[in-house]
Amino acid sequence: MHRFFRFLFASIMIMSLVIAGSQLAIAADGQIFFKGSSTLAPVISQVAQQFMEKYGTWNKIDASLPDAKIEIFVSGGGSGEGVKAVLDGTSNFGMTARTVKEEEKKAIGDYHEFHIGTDALTISVNPDNKVCQVKPNLTKDELVKIFSGEYRTWNNLDPALAKEEIVVVIRDIGGGAHEVFQKSVMKKVDVTPSAIQSPSMGALVTKVIENKNAIGYASFGMVNVHKGEIVPLKVDGVEPTVENILDGTYYVSRPLLVVKKGNMSPIEKAFIDELLSAEGMKIVEQMGFVPAK
Amino acid sequence: MKKELIFVWACKALTLLAVSFLFFIFLFIAKESFMFFQKTPLLHFLTGSRWNPMADPPAFGLLPMIFATVYVSLLATAIALPIGVGMAIILSVLAPPKIQWLLLPLIDLMAGIPSVVYGFAGLMIIVKFFETHFSWSSGESVLAGGILLAIMILPYVVSTCYESMIKVLHHYERASRALSVSKWHMMRYLVIPTAKKAIFAALILSLSRAMGETMAVMMVIGNSPIFPHLFRKAETIPALIALEMGGAVVGSLHYQALFAAGLILMLVLFTFNSFFFFIRKHIDEGIKW
Repeated sequence: MHRFFRFLFASIMIMSLVIAGSQLAIAADGQIFFKGSSTLAPVISQVAQQFMEKYGTWNKIDASLPDAKIEIFVSGGGSGEGVKAVLDGTSNFGMTARTVKEEEKKAIGDYHEFHIGTDALTISVNPDNKVCQVKPNLTKDELVKIFSGEYRTWNNLDPALAKEEIVVVIRDIGGGAHEVFQKSVMKKVDVTPSAIQSPSMGALVTKVIENKNAIGYASFGMVNVHKGEIVPLKVDGVEPTVENILDGTYYVSRPLLVVKKGNMSPIEKAFIDELLSAEGMKIVEQMGFVPAK
Repeated sequence: MKKELIFVWACKALTLLAVSFLFFIFLFIAKESFMFFQKTPLLHFLTGSRWNPMADPPAFGLLPMIFATVYVSLLATAIALPIGVGMAIILSVLAPPKIQWLLLPLIDLMAGIPSVVYGFAGLMIIVKFFETHFSWSSGESVLAGGILLAIMILPYVVSTCYESMIKVLHHYERASRALSVSKWHMMRYLVIPTAKKAIFAALILSLSRAMGETMAVMMVIGNSPIFPHLFRKAETIPALIALEMGGAVVGSLHYQALFAAGLILMLVLFTFNSFFFFIRKHIDEGIKW
């Protein structure tokens, strides 16, 4: 009996240590955790992958850094999740694909952010949709009418178009992409409740590729990857190009940020330096986004 | 003797651990929801029909999602139950042992396929089919969700029923042979009545699973917070939580509302399960074998 209880206590102690340890996991040698925006996650993963292959251990970058294997973990979950992870201290960095709200900054306290790049939301349709030829340029007013459900069929927009229902595709209402769209285009008007909410940007683009009556705000990066399968329309006469996104004339855009609570440790700084280096920026561009530098 | 005691205590401790996990999960969800219900009346949450957490002021009406969750799960169970029971009968009574040996692991394997894979297949096959053959504007619908879910819960129905049927068959095999009772007679008067209980268990299991299934349903149902219609889009509670939890600001009203939605889902499941438990008790008492 006695021995069993000792065993039980020991296992409980070990278990609580493990649970506590997972909270403090970021303290482990040579490991960095990223969590947040699923738009930004592949970019960070790609940079991390190259970084790990190039150096292997931290002390190869700089002799003052620890002699530990470079391990960088990236997981998605949404911009809100990124802020939450930094706030709870469950990861070193958070990734967001929107500006961080004032109240979130206040909650974090010692707040730092790094601008990695910019992503634009292009108003994209299926190439089989005649709107590409008939009306390749939409005004903001028309956009609001389409996304709020006021225009129900395509011929409401232009009589030359088919009398088929407009299939509005959006991201989840609470997410970063939708917030940007709501703020820059819809303003006070609500998006129609019968819009399809896609769980990811990939699913949204797939829907537009598959359905000829669909319209959605596909990420600029996705449009570059799926050239020919989806067609971005002009908004107020402005085409979503790198120049227009950078100088702000194409206004449906959002920043890609890495956020941090408190000061960076030497290894964290080493990785962020890599991310913001010319090589890191090249990857941002390769992934279809507009690099910050 | 000593060893036995150790075993008993170990079992007790582990049970306690499992129960306390469940209890703490419930407590955590209840805590977050309580903060939400302080600001939004429960009745409004349950009967409101508009959901827009980002509007000003935000609207939290869960009723369409409650309906959709129950609707899709019932539809899926209604499709899967007859097919599953039929498959179980064929497998246990009619199929030669070799076919049983081949098919059963395959059906069990179906339960192990990740739901994302089901969801993707559903998007590419079921949803696409509705769009091309029925000229619906979009194929995402309650029906698509129901069909997909039915396929997903089929293995549970089949294996639950099969196990009980094969038991009955083995139990009465010698007696029946001695009396030269035909297979069909056995099936009609022994297997099917006895399987009633198993069918019920399958019903509960599949309904609970269907209600909680998230990813696959989220991919094919369109996720529109409107009242469900068989051929139209809808949004289930698990899909709502999964979609919006990532974007919700921690500690905000939206965040708490999602926990409250989870609490409601648990309560709906609990209600269904206790209802079935009640009925099952009646079946147990009514039929003796």
